Amino acid sequence: MALPPAARITVAIALGVVAVLVAVHLAAIFLHVAPTNTVSKRYGEAVEKYVYPEFEQNWKLFAPNPLQQNIAVHARAEVLKPDGTTERTGWVDLSAMDAEDIRGNPVPSHTDQNELRRAWDFFTGSHDAENRPTGLRGELSEEYLRRIVMLRFGPELNGGQVRRIQVRSATTPVAPPPWSGENIDTETTYRTLPWWAVDRSDVPEGT
Amino acid sequence: MTQSENGGPGSPSPAVPEPRAARDAPEDAPENDTENGRENSGGSAVADAVGQEARRDGSRRDPDPDSVRSLARRFAARADRAVVDGITKVTDRALGPYQTAIVRIGFSFTWLAFLLFEWPNRHELYGPDGPWSWELGRRLIESNHAFTVLLWSDSTVWFEVVYALAVLSSAALLVGWRTRTASVLFMIGVLSLQNRSVFMGDGGDNVIHLMAIYLVLTRCGRVWSLDARRARQRADGAGADPVGVALWALLGAALAVATVRGEVGWFGDDGPVPFVGWATVLWTLWAVHGLWWAVRSVPPAGVGTDGGTGGDTGGADRDTGTGGGTDRKADVRRLMDVLGNVVHNAALLVIMVEVCLIYATAGWYKIQGSRWQDGTAVYYPLHLDYFTPWPALSELLGGSGLMIMVLSYGTVIVQVAFPFTLFNRRVKNVLLAVMMLEHASIAVVLGLPFFSLAMIAADAVFLPTVFLVWLGGRTSRWAGRLRPRPRETADEGKPEEPDGAPDSARTLVG
Repeated sequence: MALPPAARITVAIALGVVAVLVAVHLAAIFLHVAPTNTVSKRYGEAVEKYVYPEFEQNWKLFAPNPLQQNIAVHARAEVLKPDGTTERTGWVDLSAMDAEDIRGNPVPSHTDQNELRRAWDFFTGSHDAENRPTGLRGELSEEYLRRIVMLRFGPELNGGQVRRIQVRSATTPVAPPPWSGENIDTETTYRTLPWWAVDRSDVPEGT
Repeated sequence: MTQSENGGPGSPSPAVPEPRAARDAPEDAPENDTENGRENSGGSAVADAVGQEARRDGSRRDPDPDSVRSLARRFAARADRAVVDGITKVTDRALGPYQTAIVRIGFSFTWLAFLLFEWPNRHELYGPDGPWSWELGRRLIESNHAFTVLLWSDSTVWFEVVYALAVLSSAALLVGWRTRTASVLFMIGVLSLQNRSVFMGDGGDNVIHLMAIYLVLTRCGRVWSLDARRARQRADGAGADPVGVALWALLGAALAVATVRGEVGWFGDDGPVPFVGWATVLWTLWAVHGLWWAVRSVPPAGVGTDGGTGGDTGGADRDTGTGGGTDRKADVRRLMDVLGNVVHNAALLVIMVEVCLIYATAGWYKIQGSRWQDGTAVYYPLHLDYFTPWPALSELLGGSGLMIMVLSYGTVIVQVAFPFTLFNRRVKNVLLAVMMLEHASIAVVLGLPFFSLAMIAADAVFLPTVFLVWLGGRTSRWAGRLRPRPRETADEGKPEEPDGAPDSARTLVG
């Protein structure tokens, strides 16, 4: 018993439509993950419109080169003591806290592995060399970083109220493997951000 | 195409309705011995029709078999047949039932495990007052239009409800309970949480995000699911499903509220693809699911019907019992079944290509990297503080130059080669095993268990059917040993549901 003619036409149309949709989808994804090329330069805007936000993807995993430096984020605070004096704390290595949580943990949390690490990527990606924000993302990344630091510091530190914080990154190249014969300067370099004033609104609720 | 008519006594003849249960039972002999079901299955109503055309063309006899005309005609006939076979294949059934099921199980398990492990950290990750605050999320999403129900309200209660629903929908999808509905809720859960705090995610989240969308369009619950078991236990493949109906009504009401409040739009930028809003997508899915219920089979007692897998004479049998209106209903049902197969097969293709694109991108970009060229690349991640949960192990692996070199080159070779090996079954399977093994070691060595699990789940779409069926048999035997009880007992556990079912075993899209 065959399908009635109307149904057969429906199936034929559906086959055509689905085939076109699949072709469009795969072409868009391909152009999205491929390097910039003749076609993607021409249709880049349409591809972006199609792919973002739900089909965005990045598979350059450890490519073209794996990250070859440890980037740690440090922070310090200026606290207001009950006696009215202000005091500056030493630098706290927040990434070392992450690393400590990760060590010996078969199931590291995203809060340790991604939160600060990616927040710093987000910050550097949305700021110029003078640490000036470029657009909305820059502003968002600053507040995000501030809130991550304040989540770890808490509103009070060293017996005083946290009034301002400063963040810096410490980048240390990984020494090349001993058998490679390469010599790379493994000295740590710092990128220090300006002091930021903080208030209660920058303190996420403790978890 | 002739198979459809004279499928001999030995071949499965889809023209005779089989209970869906029999077709989908994992312990059945495999219907097909290659991964994509190369077995010829005729019987599709559409293909039948097209096939007749093809035969008419191909069977014209030529006086001079060597003339150019005759060659051209034979070529045309062959091309015709290829097209017909292709159409038969994609309309006739949902290909790769075991592969889609394992992908479903893999991703729902990964996401469920992730959500449970992160339970203590859920507020920090996605909560309204985490470091990526509700307000920050709102400002970003205003500019990128990503979908998240978490922005519908900044209350903690709403957040807890959404997180709990994400957990429950993952569990439901894992066991295949109301698979179609669960897959939609699963997608909503994944998108809502990930888009809410996009900077918390990594490559693993990215794969889950994509697959959660694709899975909605596949008939991924046809084997290894509670839906399949329910259909199997109920010999007639039908029966009332008050739970399913209630769920459908409830979700419709929820969607209505969201639509009235203007949380989801019909057209424009806030949808998965341009010009199609989430309201359109979700209402369509809801309506299609309702339609499946409306055209469900209502068999006369005792007559076996196919639960929607395209049995033609079954329809005729039924019609004698239930009268004229069923005729059209059966047609609509068969049409929907065919459309469902088409969408399923398209989504399955997209999933497969997506996996190939992942490996191709990862591999080809590596070729350009100096560290992958000089064979030291793998050394570096082993010395990054964020990816060394077991420093002694990393030290041990990183201690041997030869080992690092082999791993670095091996990784690139395997990733670049994988898409091409799909043309050779044996090589493909070897590479698949190597890649799964590599991901399993990444899980431990770099401390990326959920990323690795997600990648293994994605790889699984290429596992051979024989292996999956064997695995299924082993698993159920193992489970049976754990909890030995006769089948009757299991049946008793199910309440009797006398008539018409919304057929949740069927896919939402058909």
